[in-house]
Amino acid sequence: MQESGKSKGLRRVNDPPLLILTSLAEGPKHGYALAQDIGEFAGVHLSPGALYGAIARLEERGLIEALPEVERRRPYQVTAAGSAELSEAMRELRRVVDVGTHRLGLLQGRLA
Amino acid sequence: MTHSNSQRPNDLKWYPRSWRDRYGADLEQFLEDKYGNDRIPLKVRLSMVYSGTLERLRSGGIVGSSVDPGFRVRGASLLVLCAWAVFIVAGSAFAKYTEHWPLATPQVDHWLPAAAMAAVQAAAAAGMLIVFAAGLTCLPAFVRFIRSEGWWALWPLARPMTFSVIAAGAASVGIVAWSNHLGPNSTTPLGLRIAGVLAGLAVTAALAVSCGTLIAIVYRLRFSPRVTLFLGALAVAMTAALVVIFAGVLTWWISTALHAPWFFGSLVPRSAGTPAPLAMIVLGLLMLSGLILAGVGAFRIAIFRSHVGETVPSLST
Repeated sequence: MQESGKSKGLRRVNDPPLLILTSLAEGPKHGYALAQDIGEFAGVHLSPGALYGAIARLEERGLIEALPEVERRRPYQVTAAGSAELSEAMRELRRVVDVGTHRLGLLQGRLA
Repeated sequence: MTHSNSQRPNDLKWYPRSWRDRYGADLEQFLEDKYGNDRIPLKVRLSMVYSGTLERLRSGGIVGSSVDPGFRVRGASLLVLCAWAVFIVAGSAFAKYTEHWPLATPQVDHWLPAAAMAAVQAAAAAGMLIVFAAGLTCLPAFVRFIRSEGWWALWPLARPMTFSVIAAGAASVGIVAWSNHLGPNSTTPLGLRIAGVLAGLAVTAALAVSCGTLIAIVYRLRFSPRVTLFLGALAVAMTAALVVIFAGVLTWWISTALHAPWFFGSLVPRSAGTPAPLAMIVLGLLMLSGLILAGVGAFRIAIFRSHVGETVPSLST
């Protein structure tokens, strides 16, 4: 369950694990900072249940790891496996973006 | 920061203890940072109920692959036990509903539904034997648990079951005593009917609580991989028995609706009747839901049985 942003259209990439890995690629963050960052760069407002559920799964899969707690907040960072997974996801997304951009250009050419 | 909202710890009660130990403080701090002294929106609380329930199912090995395969097989076997409990409720109601069926329909219309009914009864008896065998299989581990933890370790788990069984037993005895006071030809008073429904609900609740208690106890027992696999095999056999029961009930229903539809109506032979009475629809749906539970359990047992004995790496704290 997640609270989506303003638009529920095709523009949103709202897979919580992908968003979390993308956010953590910048550096370690705790849960609240992650939610804030994801809200800012993706416009997706993850509910606490969705956020911590995804964190738990990512940690189980060894894609992120917990750092020592600071004032009751536990920061997480991406592991090497997480970095590889994110890299692969970005490649897949880029392929879709490239094909979509190319075909959109052709479509707009026909419509003009 | 302090807990300014006394409801906060309650919001995490849906999560299993192991999950709370790892993420609870962080999540509480998240809620504190995000909502401060404000009330947490209902939508957010519901998301935690959903997420917490999902985590409980994961930690019980019923969904996902977060716990060891042996634990997943155990969770799947317990899911089949829940399905059996659902069938007990539906089956008891079916037995009550069909108690006058042999007399209300002529013998010439009987052979197919009678065969179906016999299959249902045989599968139900097989199901009872399977549960008995599963109980015997768990007994040594249960004895070891009692020796190491003592009977009092069980009391917090068994308390709700004890009270609900006593209440259901008292309600059932009361109903029987009341109905015994009625003459053989007198009609059943409305009060007794309502009390009968309430007693039925009490028995159903007691069965659900007992099932939950059994599950909670079985999760605390230590099983060898061999015992886990045997329990998984029993659960698969139970699923087969439930399939037979469901198919038998369905066959009985269809054949009776085709050849003796008055049984679902006025009971007067050759009179009109509905092929789909509400009681049979409810029973059918109840059994179907049980069958789906059992199917999911049997499927997970089939997937994970070859991995029993393996472990998944645990997270460092």
